[in-house]
Formats: sequence, C-alpha cells, structure tokens
Amino acid sequence: MQDIAVKFEHISMAFPGVLANDDVSLEIRKGEVFALVGENGAGKSTLMNILYGINTPTNGKVFIQGRQVEHFDPKTAIGLGVGMVHQHFMLVPSFTVAQNIVMSREPRKARIFFDNAKAEEQTQALVEEYGLVVDPTVPVEELGVGLQQRVEILKTLFRGAEILILDEPTAVLTPQETDELFAVIRRVVKERNMTVIIITHKLYEVMAISDRVGVMRKGQLVGVENTCDVDEKILSSMMVGRPVLYDNLEKTGQPGEELIRVEDLVVEDNRGLTAVDGLSLSVRAGEVLGIAAIEGNGQSELLEAITGMRTPVGGKITVCGKDVTGMSPGQVRDVGLAHVPEDRLATGVSRDASVTDNLLMGKHRREEFNRFGFHQKVSTIERYAQEIYDKFDMRGAGIDTTVGSMSGGNMQKVVIAREFSFDSPVLIISQPTRGVDVGAIEFIHTRIIEKRNQGCAILLCSADLDEVFRLSDRIVTIYEGQITGEFTAGSFSKEEIGYCMTGSRKGKEAVQ
Amino acid sequence: MFEDILKSIFSAGTFNQMLRSATPVALAALGGAMTEHAGIMNIGMDGMILMGAFFGALGSYMFQSAGMGVLTVLLMGVVVGLFFALFTVKFRSDEFIIGTALNTFALGLTSFLSRSIFGTAGTKGNPALPTIHIPFLDNVPFLGAVFNNNSLFIYVTWILVLVMWLFVYKTPYGFWLRASGEKPETLRTAGIQPERMKWLASILCGILCGLAGAHLSLGQLQGTFAENMANSRGYIAFACVIFSAANPGKAYLAALMFGFFDAIGLRLQDYISSDLTNIIPYVITIIMMVYVVVRSQQKKRHAHRSKVQGAAAT
Amino acid sequence: MKGKAKGINWNYLLSLLISVVLAFLIGAVILAIAGFDPGRAYLAMIDGAFSNARHIGDFLEYAMVLCICGLACVLGSRVGIFNVGGEGQLLLGAIVSCQVGVAMAGMSKLIVIPCAALAAMVTGGLYALIPGVLKVKVKVNEVITTIMLNTIAASFCQFLAKGPWKNANKTMVAATGQLDPRHWFTTLIPNSNLSTAIIVAAFMAFLTWYVMQKTSTGFEMKMTGQNPRFALFSGIKTDKIIILAMLVSGAMCGLVGMFRVYGVEHLYRSSISNQYYFEGLTVAMIAQYNPVTVIFLSFFFAILKIGAQGMELSAGVPNQIYLIIQTIIIFFMAAESGISASIQASAQRKKARAKAEAKQKGGEVHV
Repeated sequence: MQDIAVKFEHISMAFPGVLANDDVSLEIRKGEVFALVGENGAGKSTLMNILYGINTPTNGKVFIQGRQVEHFDPKTAIGLGVGMVHQHFMLVPSFTVAQNIVMSREPRKARIFFDNAKAEEQTQALVEEYGLVVDPTVPVEELGVGLQQRVEILKTLFRGAEILILDEPTAVLTPQETDELFAVIRRVVKERNMTVIIITHKLYEVMAISDRVGVMRKGQLVGVENTCDVDEKILSSMMVGRPVLYDNLEKTGQPGEELIRVEDLVVEDNRGLTAVDGLSLSVRAGEVLGIAAIEGNGQSELLEAITGMRTPVGGKITVCGKDVTGMSPGQVRDVGLAHVPEDRLATGVSRDASVTDNLLMGKHRREEFNRFGFHQKVSTIERYAQEIYDKFDMRGAGIDTTVGSMSGGNMQKVVIAREFSFDSPVLIISQPTRGVDVGAIEFIHTRIIEKRNQGCAILLCSADLDEVFRLSDRIVTIYEGQITGEFTAGSFSKEEIGYCMTGSRKGKEAVQ
Repeated sequence: MFEDILKSIFSAGTFNQMLRSATPVALAALGGAMTEHAGIMNIGMDGMILMGAFFGALGSYMFQSAGMGVLTVLLMGVVVGLFFALFTVKFRSDEFIIGTALNTFALGLTSFLSRSIFGTAGTKGNPALPTIHIPFLDNVPFLGAVFNNNSLFIYVTWILVLVMWLFVYKTPYGFWLRASGEKPETLRTAGIQPERMKWLASILCGILCGLAGAHLSLGQLQGTFAENMANSRGYIAFACVIFSAANPGKAYLAALMFGFFDAIGLRLQDYISSDLTNIIPYVITIIMMVYVVVRSQQKKRHAHRSKVQGAAAT
Repeated sequence: MKGKAKGINWNYLLSLLISVVLAFLIGAVILAIAGFDPGRAYLAMIDGAFSNARHIGDFLEYAMVLCICGLACVLGSRVGIFNVGGEGQLLLGAIVSCQVGVAMAGMSKLIVIPCAALAAMVTGGLYALIPGVLKVKVKVNEVITTIMLNTIAASFCQFLAKGPWKNANKTMVAATGQLDPRHWFTTLIPNSNLSTAIIVAAFMAFLTWYVMQKTSTGFEMKMTGQNPRFALFSGIKTDKIIILAMLVSGAMCGLVGMFRVYGVEHLYRSSISNQYYFEGLTVAMIAQYNPVTVIFLSFFFAILKIGAQGMELSAGVPNQIYLIIQTIIIFFMAAESGISASIQASAQRKKARAKAEAKQKGGEVHV
C-alpha cells in the first residue's frame, strides 16, 4: 500500500555483557510518524544507532529505501537519506549555527576555502523554507536547548534527510517547545513526505504525534500497532510486560517525627540556571516519600542539595532537627544521613578500588578499623567487608576484586550495602535499581522497605514509576523545580501522576 | 642612566634580536597550535625541535646541502608526528607520559648519534640556510636594521603563520580540526573520522617543530648542532600555544613577546640580570591562564543568567 | 589476574620484563648500527656500575634521588594531581637550604642541619602549593603551571647564584657560597657521592610507603585520586587532601635539593640537578605510580645510568644510550596497555557475537 522507508531484518546487537537488540524485524513506511517506545535500556537507541550507521549490528540486515546497507557508517546512512537528532546534541559549541549546519558539506570558495557568507545564506534559505527560525550567525553555545535542537533538525534537513530519527527529543524541552517541535514534525511529514521515527518513553506524546507505534522490551520488539488502535494503558502494559510481577511488600509501623524538612529551597544547576525553584517538602520517620519527575526537572539538584553535594542558593534544609544548609557532604553524613546516588559510576563507587575499599568508604576513620587512630587494621576491615558481602548476597569474585569488574546489579548492591550499613536515620535514595537485573531489584526493594519499617525516613527518587508506586507511602510530582502534586498511597492513578509530572493536571491537553 | 636603558631597549638591535629569538619558538608554537586544536596536550615539542635541529644538521652534513637538510627534517617531522599520534591517538596512551618520554628520547638519541657520527657532542660549519638581503630596505633607517639580512626561515615563518591561520579558520579542514578537539562525536556523526584530523594535526606538528629545529641549527647557528640545543624552547612554545588559545597569529605575537623579553634581557645585562627578565613571560602566562579560566566561568554564568532574564521578559 | 585489587600484579611484571628485554635489544641494534659491539658495551655497563666502590656509592646516591623524586610524584598522582614541578621545588629547596647553611657558618651542626632541612621543605612545599591551590580553587591545569614554575625557579636560582648570593670567590661563576665543611654530610664511601643522607632518604621512603599503603590517610588519598566525586560524596575533604599531598610532595623535592647540597656539591650551582626530578618522574611512570615498584626501579635505573657513564669511559660508547633504553621502556609500557585493551575489546566483541548467534539459532528451533 505504501512504500517502505526502512526495513530491519533479524537485527541483533550484542555489547559486552548485554544483548541490546535481540532478533528485531521491523518495517517503517514512507511518510509516517513512527514512535518507538520502551523503558530505559530496552534497546530503542541502539536500534536507531544501527540505522544511522554508528553501530554495526552483530547479526541481521538493514534496508534503507529498498537498498541493503553494506557498510555501517554515518556517511553511508546520510547518503541514503537518514538524519538523526541525538539525545545529546552533536553541535560544536564555539561554531556558529551556519558552521554547524554545513559541517562536512561546506560551501567552498576557490575549492579550498570555507565560504562563510554562503553557509549563512544557505542556512537562512533553509530557515525560511521550513519556518524554523534561528539566527545563522550566532555561536551555538549562546543558544538554549530548544533552539539547539532546531539547529540539529536543520542540520539533518541540510544533509537531505528523508528519514528523520529523533532520539528522546522532548526530554529537555518545555511544553511550548514540545508543541512547536510537533508542529514542525507534522509539517515536514505532510509537505515533504518525510518519514519520522521518534524515540520516547512518554506515552501521551506517542498518542499525540504518531501514526504507528512499536514497543520494545529488553532488546526485543514486542509489538507494532496503529496508534489509533491502542491507548496508553495497553502500551504501558506492553512496555512493562508484567501485569503484576511483585508480591506486595509488607509495610508496618506508623510515621514518627519529622526527620527531613526542606523549606523554600532554591538550587542552581551546573550552568547557573534555577533547577529547584522554591520547593518545600518534609519526610517523617518510618515513611517513604517518592519523587516522580521527568529527568531534568530539578530532582537531581534537590537531592544533591540535601546531601551537601551542591550548595543551595536560598532556602533551608533540616535533617534530624539540625540545620544542614550549606554543609559539606561529610558534615551532613555526620548528622545522620546516608545517600544512594543516582549515578553509581560517577558518584557511588570507585571502579578501580576493591569491594573492601568501597564498602569501607566513610567508615574508614572509625576506631574499630584503626590502630592508634591511623594504622588500618586490615584483617578487621576484611572481616567486616566479608560479612557485608555475604549479608547482601553479592555475587562476584570476592571482596578483593575491583568493583569495576562487577555486573551492574552487584555494583549497586555494593552501594546499597555501604550506605544502608551506616545505620543512619535518614536515607536519600536515587535510582536504586537502574540497570539492575530483576532478581536484584526484588532484593533491593525488600531492603528499602526493611529500613522503612525500622523507622528510617526515606526520600526516594526513580525514573521507574512502578518502583516509586511500589515503595512510597506518599508521592510528590516535581516539574521544573516545583512541586505540582502530592498523593498518598492508594489514592491516585498512574495517569493522574503522569499529568502532574508534565506541569499540570492539564498536561495531556497542553500537548494536544 | 634611565635614558640609556630606554634607548637600549628601543633600539633596532633589540627588535632584530626579538625577531631572531621568537622565530624558532613561533614555528614550534604553530605546530603546537595544531595538536592543541585537535585536543592533544602536546608537551613533546621540545624533543621534536631537538630532533629537527639534529637531523637538519645531519642532512646538511651528509649531502653537503642545507636544502637537503631541510628535506631530511620534513621527512623526520612526518615520522615523529606519526609516532606521536600512534601512541596518543591509536593506543590512547597518556599524552603527558608520551610527551615527556619523547623529550627524553630526543635528548638521548640526538646526543648519542651526534657523538657516534661526529665523534663530539656537536657539529659545526655545515652548509647553512641563506640570509635574505632585501635591497630596498638598505636605506630605510630603523626597519632596515630590524627586517633586513635575516635568515631565510624568519621570512618563511611569516608565510607559515598566514598559511596556518587560513588553514585553521578559513578552510573546512580547519573546522574539522577544531571540531575533532572540541567535540569529536560531531564529526563522527557527520561521517568524518575525528581520529584522522588528530593524526593530521600530529604530523603537521612534527613538521613545524622540526622546521623550528632546522632553523636553529641551519639558520640561526649557521650549520651548527649542539647537545640539547632546543633548550626548553618547546616549553616556551607550549606556553605560547596556551597564551594564544592556539590561534596561529596570536601565537606568533606571544612568541614575539618571549623574544622581546629575551632580547631586552641580553641588552640590559649591565643593569638587570637576564635571568630575571626571562621569568616575566612565564609569570604572565600563568596569570593569563588563571584569568582565562576565571573569565570563562563568569562568562558562562552570565550568559545563562541573561538568557533566563531574556526569556522571562518575553 | 585482571580485576584483582590486591597482591602482586603478574601481568605488569611480565610486560615490564618484556619491555626491558625489548628495549635492550633495540638498544643493541642502535649500538650495532652506530658501530659498537653491543655485547661489549653492555658488559662495560655492568662493569661500570659495580667495578669499584666509588661507582657503587654513586649509583646508590643517584638511586636515592630518583626514589625520593619518584615517590614525590607518586604522592601527587595518588590524589589525582600531577606534580611536574618537582625540578623547581628541588632547586629552590637546594638554594635556600644552602644559604641557610652559609648564614649559619660556625654554628653547631645539630642546629644547622635541622634548620636547613626545614628551610628546604618549607620552600619546596610552598612552591608546590601555588599549582596545588590554583588547581583546586580555580581549576587551572597543574601540568602546565608546574612546567612554567620550573623554568621560573631555575632562572630565579640562577639569578640568586650569580647575584645576591654569589660566591665571594670570583672564579666560581653562577655558584653560591660554600658550606662550612663541618656541616657537610659524612661521606659513606670515600670519593663517592654517597652520604649519610641515604639513611634519612631510606626512612622517608619507608614513611611515604607506609602512609600511602597502610594508613587511613593513605586510603583517603587513594580514593580521592581514583574518584574525587565519590570521595567528596563519602565525606572526605578532597580539596584539603589534594593541597596537603602537593605540599608534602614539594617538601620532599626540596629535601632532595638539600641532600644534593649537603651531601655532594656543598654549594649551590646548576649541577645540583640535571633534570633529576624528570628522571624520577619517568621512573614513577614506568612503575605505574606504585611506591614499592618505584623503589626497586630507582636502583635499576641508577645502575643503568652510572653504568652507562662507566661504559663511556671504558668502551667509548656515548652514555646517552641509557636515555634511549629508558624511554623505549616507557613507550612499550604505554603501548602495552593500549594494545592489550584493543585485543581484549575485540575478543569481547567476538564472544558477544557468538552469544547472539547461539541465541538466535536457539530461538529459531523453538519457533
């Protein structure tokens, strides 16, 4: 009925340790908007990187516009009319918009010189043709993310793309910018008969923009549907693939005194932009407060401010009744706080150090581990490490191995084991099971609830909404650094929370 | 006395000396600018210069021709550049380790070969590069003394500065070169291998540093090679690269600044120790580095602030 | 052995051994091309280092210099800062401690030596503090600043030795006044450079090793160097520990300068150090910043250097062959990690591919 733009045949892609794509076969039609959805690590980006020639599949064939791809490199893909807008923009910050757009196909003077005037002219022509307004002469580093994305799209159009891949394009956009982006997508599809593949995990966007949708789970394509035939509920059960996987966790005890209190907190991100904007919350002993938010809405900066990794600009933080605003991480820990960080490799472990050293961190000054206050008692330390290693059921080559050689799940267990064994009354937990296998997830969840039942105040943040629902007593949604909703366990639906995460209870309408 | 000092500083002799001192540094700094743009921290330039100086003298000695000496150096520059890139780009070894090792290796190799081939620590009296006489400058009072009758490479350097500047900022390859250092993935997704640009930068650096050495042995010292004759010029060139943010034109000016302090150090020996005047450019470089870092941090914050305010206003 | 954080790293020892053997083979080829008999040259080298007591004393003294300089470098790299400025710290420590000694001529050795040592350590330490603070507070690359500071220190010492602190004797150019002979360190082997300083140095080496490997401070340093964000997150005051490491590293270099003055030269002149810190740093690199390995390799390279000097005298082979061999070892060690990493990556890819194929075949059987 329609031409086929892209065809994947039995694609498998193996990275050391993971099978990112597992026998994927898929056809994408010319002139449609195809949405590819799935949880983090489901293999969406890998599949698209294969199409764009960045990855060479370990098995299988790819056909673009009917021609089989022989050599997987971006040059070939570009030549066949594929353009990709990456999640992390591929722009040189110090170059101007025009210089970025014409890269690799620069207009030339006298064959060897870069013709900047012509590059700007061509960019301006492109801007006018597609109505994507941006000043060609401005360095990219002076543009906001929304405009940078526009430059990326223009770049693919300049290269003559007929198939446009957008990898999580709305992750960093405001609702207005998202609207504009969708308008552009509709226009290029309608006027130029372009094919657009959009990777996302926001289901309401799928409903808003796509003609067809493919769902991926653990490297496999579990289904392709016409968008008009499905709804968000069907899609989310396809994505998760497990109606009820977990047993209910037994939660006991009553909430006690308030252990975390945040008042009118203002925090800036690395770029000096306001990330947390006058936010207040409180967590009591024996309670899990879950944070539901789309990435980049200030939740990371909030947790960093509480734990002392980032100095707030305004507001007050109280932990266990003590004002900890502006304290160093060490001082906050001394007050009685332990922290499972969101990025375990960057913050949570030292890859080159042994399991023992990683477990010892933070406790190494304790009297029991030191003779005369400075000489490390190696055998006591090793005994302690072995004890925790066994208690947390870590499976590796023992306590002398470097943490970097362990699997993600075991690495996360090292972090959890260390932080939980501080016996701190306050726990800040971020992404506790990201990239962790199912068995370990269950183990980690049980431990968290155990801590809750013992009377810890727990602040939990996770991109996995099911995890937040399962563990939390209360949930707050955060959007652009502000709380947009608060819910008590059992009193909400997933949809409601989803809408609040996108700014308001009218989140869905705003997009459409 | 004060007047004498000023007169001595602003004499044609000073400026001519400045030009002479600056040229080998400037040539090496041009090469360093290439690797710097490609994102390689290159502190091996001192060794590259030394090898250039030696192989220039060797080529000149063996073929009894300065031109063949330069040709030998060009070949050597390519080999050294390939060698440097093999480790820093291909094997991804620590740039600092390779740079340091290259300096020591050059010192050992040139001294060893010099003693083995010439029987002494050095050689002299080999065919040298010509000095250029520009007749119409003869009668120009000040400029004539500064710019006339200099060794060939002083003039060649001017051309090279222009060529490299055009290359970096005015050709597509220059854009790719800078992208390969600033954000290599951008090139990769555009279908260009960033590693290729790094290899190219490394080879260009080998050639230019080699020429700096050739100028030392065949130009400035008229066919003479002496042990360790690069004498830390590679580090000065490195400072110039940092100072100028790898802009070839500015790097030349930075080299002139070093040359100027070198020259007045020689001029003012009777009044102030040249050891002290030598320090000044290095102190300035450190202050510049701090200034650049602090300013870029402030600028970044400021840019984002104003954007937020701008967005709020609209 | 990969992935083990403890015990002897056999992989490293094997690649070091191979690198050393290959370097000597290449050295032999270079010698042969240059017209020397490699066998004779190498024998002369061994002979040069061990044939008489004076040479043994000389290489022990040089091993001491390499070892302390190398350990000073290791100390910095342990916390993730690269002290390339040891040469400048060494020179300043040498000249200041020398001037302290000159000024205190005639006083008791028991007072002068501690004062001089203190002066050397404070000078070296403070000079190392500049790049340390700039790195931590302003995030200026310490490699570049320390390289600049080396040249500044060398020129400045040259200025002092020619100017304000110059030797009263006009025939001594660019040298400071001489120490009171009563203040000299006792020479252990007659006519050699070896002095009692080696006892202090041995103790320092032990202390450095002990602090780095056995104490909780050493643990904090290691963790800071491996992942500063994780260290900060776990409550370590990373800024403070980085600056402290730099301070101690500089103090060690300053002390080496003092050893050279009080043990060998007895005054300051530029031969106090001929890029000795850089050779120590080279040893640290080859040792991959392991303190014990630094100690052993210091002896190895000191023997090589003094042996090469002996070889030049007896067999007429230029001693710089020593530098060539040493750097070839570095190149091999640097390439080794790159080559083995790429071999491992391709092996892993192959394994993963086999796994994917097996899985696909298995899947088709079921369908």
